[in-house]
Amino acid sequence: MAGRQVAVIDYGMGNVWSVLSAFRYLGGEATLTDDPDQIITADFLVLPGVGSFRKAMDSIRKAGMDKAIHEAVKIRGSKILGICLGMQLLAAFGSEDGETAGLGLIGNRVDPFTPLELGHRKLPHVGFNTVRFNEQAGLFRDLPGQPDFYFVHSYRMLIENLVGRHAICSYGTDFLAAFETENICGTQFHPEKSQTNGLTLLRNFLYL
Amino acid sequence: MLKKRVIFTLLYDRGSFMLSRNFRLQKVGNLQWLKKNYDFSKIAFSIDELIILDVSRSERDEKMFCEHVKKLTEECFVPITAGGGIRSVVQSRRLLCSGADKIVVNSLLAANPALVFVLASEFGRQCIVASVDARRSADGYEVWMYNGGRLQDGSLGDWLTNLMDLPIGELYLNSMDRDGTGQGYDFALLDHLPRPMPIPVILAGGAGKYQHLADGLSEQRVDAVATAHLFNFVGDGLEHARIGLIGSGHNLPVWDRNTAQEMKDIFKR
Repeated sequence: MAGRQVAVIDYGMGNVWSVLSAFRYLGGEATLTDDPDQIITADFLVLPGVGSFRKAMDSIRKAGMDKAIHEAVKIRGSKILGICLGMQLLAAFGSEDGETAGLGLIGNRVDPFTPLELGHRKLPHVGFNTVRFNEQAGLFRDLPGQPDFYFVHSYRMLIENLVGRHAICSYGTDFLAAFETENICGTQFHPEKSQTNGLTLLRNFLYL
Repeated sequence: MLKKRVIFTLLYDRGSFMLSRNFRLQKVGNLQWLKKNYDFSKIAFSIDELIILDVSRSERDEKMFCEHVKKLTEECFVPITAGGGIRSVVQSRRLLCSGADKIVVNSLLAANPALVFVLASEFGRQCIVASVDARRSADGYEVWMYNGGRLQDGSLGDWLTNLMDLPIGELYLNSMDRDGTGQGYDFALLDHLPRPMPIPVILAGGAGKYQHLADGLSEQRVDAVATAHLFNFVGDGLEHARIGLIGSGHNLPVWDRNTAQEMKDIFKR
């Protein structure tokens, strides 16, 4: 099982240290990189992040990392896991600060929770919340039936036409909490902040 | 459903971890000592969040504090909040690059509210936890700043209402009277919260045993309970408390603590 090398993509936003620590806890060799060449050759890519969709896409494009991610995922078949904002960046569009194109690895949109969905609920959606799966395998193997994960976000993705395995969380509306479609994975929650539930999911990612 | 939280607060003073009683500090030990004698890894898998506060009474060593935050978060997979003496964006970013997800501000709320707006625009308001230290007075509660060293004008209620105009994500409400006493939380503090309260409330100060945490979690206005009492929740104290709380139906997140060891270094075997 030795030698899982994980490249954690650094574009200057969010808590990358905890992501590195979680993979290292599992015994993976996690390194932080903003080098397109290193991104292209990595077998396991992780795109973390907290913050603004537009700012994040700007930094990623400026560094030429968007092309590197595409080549790695679409041509080389590398596995990618987007976490929180990182998952949202995998989508086609985000409506934060005006319409911004994402990496487009999946066709979904990222929009804010609407007032109608929220009702009396507070924003951001912060804290541990329960998710449920359509299939408990792959990325979701060995997890409890309805595990708790840590979320912090004000924007959400819906399932739309996404195929493959997914997890749903309810916060006024049923939104996409995590997915695995071919070699592309994302979690709206923070597995690196979700105790052993999160560690199990990160381990599963490295087994995919 | 969104869960409530049990938070452990570590008090740090220039390389040492401290016990506080009514804001008077007593040294417990350094990081190595904490990990060894207090089985921090066990505590880490029994909490929903960790708050690390630099309460250094003399000059703070920010770099050393960040190193401690990094070390603590290496094997602690919950949200981490860190703070104490935060006065700049650079300093905040340094903490957020050391494993912290959120920062705590207290005196800054009064000293430089404009900077709180800057921090929020830089990192998002969910990233900012406003800490308030309150002490009973003849006619209600007063608010103290700078580690309890300076009295803030106005009542607790006024101060909390003012804070709601700032871009903050959570409130950490601490009783100076109960701090470290183990006599239980001061629920009367909650009567001074704005209504409705738009952000989550963390209640701190006074928890000394299981029942206090249970009482706190039962209170509808409380989203999270915090304890900084190292001695009372040493070893498996917190683990047992957690099992008890979940067993008696408190709305806390659930995970299997036992798989933590199985998972460690699984890809090195």
